[in-house]
Amino acid sequence: MPEVRAALAIARKELRTLRRYPLQSINTVAQPLYQFLIPSVLLGSTFLVAGRAVGFQASAGTADVSGFLFLGAFVGGQGGAAFWGSAFAFRLEMMSGTLEPAWLTPTRRETFVVGYLLASLVVQVLGGAVLLGIGAVFFGARFFGAALAALPALVLVEVGLVGMSYLVASGVLLMKEANFFVDSTNFLFSAASGTMFPITVMPGLVKVIALLLPTTYALDILRSQALGTRPVLPGWSEYLALAGLGLLAVLAGRWTFARAERRLRRSGSLGQY
Amino acid sequence: MTAAMLDLRALSAAALKEVWVIRRYPALWAGMLFWPVLLPAVYVLQAHAYAGGDPRATAAFLSRSGTSQIAGFIFLGWSVYMWLSMALWGPGTALRQQQVQGQLEAVFLTPASRAAVLFGPVVAYLALTLWMLFVVGVALRLAFGVTLGAGEAARALAVVVASTPAIYGIGALFSSAVLRWREVNGLVQVVRGLFTVFCGMTYPIVILPGWAQHVAYSLPPTYVIGDFRLVLLRGANLAQVAPDLLILLGSGALLCILAAVAFRATERYARGGGSLVQF
Repeated sequence: MPEVRAALAIARKELRTLRRYPLQSINTVAQPLYQFLIPSVLLGSTFLVAGRAVGFQASAGTADVSGFLFLGAFVGGQGGAAFWGSAFAFRLEMMSGTLEPAWLTPTRRETFVVGYLLASLVVQVLGGAVLLGIGAVFFGARFFGAALAALPALVLVEVGLVGMSYLVASGVLLMKEANFFVDSTNFLFSAASGTMFPITVMPGLVKVIALLLPTTYALDILRSQALGTRPVLPGWSEYLALAGLGLLAVLAGRWTFARAERRLRRSGSLGQY
Repeated sequence: MTAAMLDLRALSAAALKEVWVIRRYPALWAGMLFWPVLLPAVYVLQAHAYAGGDPRATAAFLSRSGTSQIAGFIFLGWSVYMWLSMALWGPGTALRQQQVQGQLEAVFLTPASRAAVLFGPVVAYLALTLWMLFVVGVALRLAFGVTLGAGEAARALAVVVASTPAIYGIGALFSSAVLRWREVNGLVQVVRGLFTVFCGMTYPIVILPGWAQHVAYSLPPTYVIGDFRLVLLRGANLAQVAPDLLILLGSGALLCILAAVAFRATERYARGGGSLVQF
């Protein structure tokens, strides 16, 4: 219970800090729109035949390009929360010189990861909901009602994201210059999860990696419920894969994080960046 | 020594200092290998999903873009995005960096020309740009079999030369804006977002509605992307793209003048309010 209270306090503190930077919050919606969604929708328009996405229908199982992409952005944003919001928060604490004092409190180090992720997820889910609204109103995406059926998958994927946060946070703590590491791994994670295209078009090795990511299954369940796309695995096996991989990610993440923490304490480099 | 020679020395010193700084960050160099290749590669995969192996979809792309080389089309569009990103994050934020590090006051106290301070980083980042374009060329050749001959490369270089004042004029203008409003990240996103949405990085301009095409043709990067695609994918010669190059040179000159005027105004504002050291 004290750890839950601590996680909530950390999340509250993060949200309070975020409130001071309104432009950053606007970018939660604006950045995916300009950097990914609008260029992707316009690229899709270049392939339209008599106003229909015949090619996309063949490869993805739906002609609703906007729906496909906006749902991808929604799940991709939550992945971003694990990478930027949670893992990179350690870097910001390091730079502000507050990481050492925070780690001297009786709160367990692992709780910090969960607290940061919680705050970031709140922002991303709100931003994602705004994005879905924009998709429905301005881009003709059709997904709302049916997408609710995939809510259990969206809740379940958060377990995997906690694991990813631990893994990336370990990398951030050990590196002195983590921007490129977080930026590039987040991009690869998002692309491999199928946020921008169906995993059927991925090259062999990338497809194998995609099938090891919990987000791939969460997004696949969401799309098959909302848009009627062909699922990667049949029936409940997708939920099983999602839960199993999520659990595995948490175990691997916590183990890696504990090792990274031990190494930092031995080398005394917690305050260095 | 004449004033012009002194200015040139100050410019080269400012550029050299920026090269030293860039050299200290190996992640920047790693990024120069990663982003120009993987960012467009993801969009190439997306384009394959849109094509879906249907010849009608591929024919639709050919008729709208004028080329069947999907990978080349997308890589060249994103290379200009990368170039703009470098101009905004590099020279565009150089003054702000100096302000944050507390060096800007010292620099302004030197007798060096303000033009050297404003445009010095540009020279340094030009080398990085050429490296990025080289990486894009190699990736296109090795991963997608797009062969670019010496003639095409020379014509592309001419486009780079004609575009340089415009791209870095945007960077320099941005630099003054950042110094005035003291906000980097948000401003980069807004400016880069405008270019990404309108300039045709992933799509041909013809698919935009009329009003958006007017916006697109008022932005220099639209011409840079169009000309890269024309000379590298459709074999156009320099005479065919000459009107575009003239527009680029003209807008480049205008942007550089605007940047110098904006810089002078920002400096006056900062001196008046004593905000040169605030951040």
